[in-house]
Amino acid sequence: MSDKQSLEQIKAQLKEELIENLSLEDIEPEDIKDDEVLFGDGSIGLDSLDAVEIVVFLQRIWGIEIQNMEEGREILVSIDTMADHIYANA
Amino acid sequence: MPDTIDQPQRGNKIGFWFFRMFLRFGGLYAAYFLLYGVTLHYWLFDTKAVKTASAYLKRRFPLDSKITIRFKVYKLFYSQGRQLIDRIAKISGAIDFVFNFVDMDMLNQLASSKKGYILLTAHAGNWQLAMTELEQFDKKISLVMRSENNEAVKKALNINTTDDKFGIISPEEHLGGVVPVIKELNDGNIVSYMGDRSYGFESLNVNFMGDKANFPYGAFAIAAATKVPVVIALASKIGFKTYKVDFTNIINPEYKSRKNKKNQLSEWVQEYADILNDFFEEYPYQCFLFHDVWEKNKT
Repeated sequence: MSDKQSLEQIKAQLKEELIENLSLEDIEPEDIKDDEVLFGDGSIGLDSLDAVEIVVFLQRIWGIEIQNMEEGREILVSIDTMADHIYANA
Repeated sequence: MPDTIDQPQRGNKIGFWFFRMFLRFGGLYAAYFLLYGVTLHYWLFDTKAVKTASAYLKRRFPLDSKITIRFKVYKLFYSQGRQLIDRIAKISGAIDFVFNFVDMDMLNQLASSKKGYILLTAHAGNWQLAMTELEQFDKKISLVMRSENNEAVKKALNINTTDDKFGIISPEEHLGGVVPVIKELNDGNIVSYMGDRSYGFESLNVNFMGDKANFPYGAFAIAAATKVPVVIALASKIGFKTYKVDFTNIINPEYKSRKNKKNQLSEWVQEYADILNDFFEEYPYQCFLFHDVWEKNKT
């Protein structure tokens, strides 16, 4: 990224990427709350296979490579946690 | 006897000691001879293993009577016992086996590729021996398996925890362990999954030996997302000390569309089930599933 995006822009783009890459039907970007837990029993309810897609697109689009399980546990939680990591590292 | 690498080990230390002694002083013939009696014990008393073996055999030999299937269970147990002995013999260095690779060029090609790949195994033949042969290709192999199976696996593959050639990734970790799996593939290494056990991933219903069976699709989903091939590992015992090692069945999962991913995954899982089906057609007594994959809602 030549011009550093604002945190809000990153969050908005992340939501669109989530919907597109995971083929989330009937979900609009505004339906996903920034602090909502994405995996498990939440309203989005993503699973481990969705996590694969997220890890791959974080790398492909943002150049973020998650190095280990501990990092994954901190980053792959919500739009907020992913956006914070991208903002700090991309 | 009807153990597989990721199931609780039957037998005990004294039993294994006897096999080692027979191997040392009488070679494979002696150990195989001892096996007749041990097999008989499991054939008579291990009702769970007999039941799961029968689930396979009655589909493989649909015209056979119940009594014939029962006798074929003995043959299957004995066949698996021989392959367990072969593993003990190989790891202890007592016997040298011959491994005939179906296409060595393809293996060299995979080994020299910067990309990693997924090695998909099954409870078919002696895949553990095939995997030990992969050591020569200088790529780290990470096995995805539950922690309770680690000790049995380490023993079967002679894994030294200080050696960095083999690693273990637990699917019970955060999000099924996908982070380290993707990291290993990105680093050009091999990640091995058991294709006929779900290990935390969901499964799909496919045709297998004339019936509907459950097989997991996690390995294919990861391969499709990371754009790496899925290499099917098959190793069949074709002679007294000879194995045929076949890594030529390769599936390259690539989503044609972002919609209906499960339908696309189902095609690749079916392809894998067909490969296994062909293997069991050729080697009916080298199917060591010992698990009723046809049972509804179970994997």
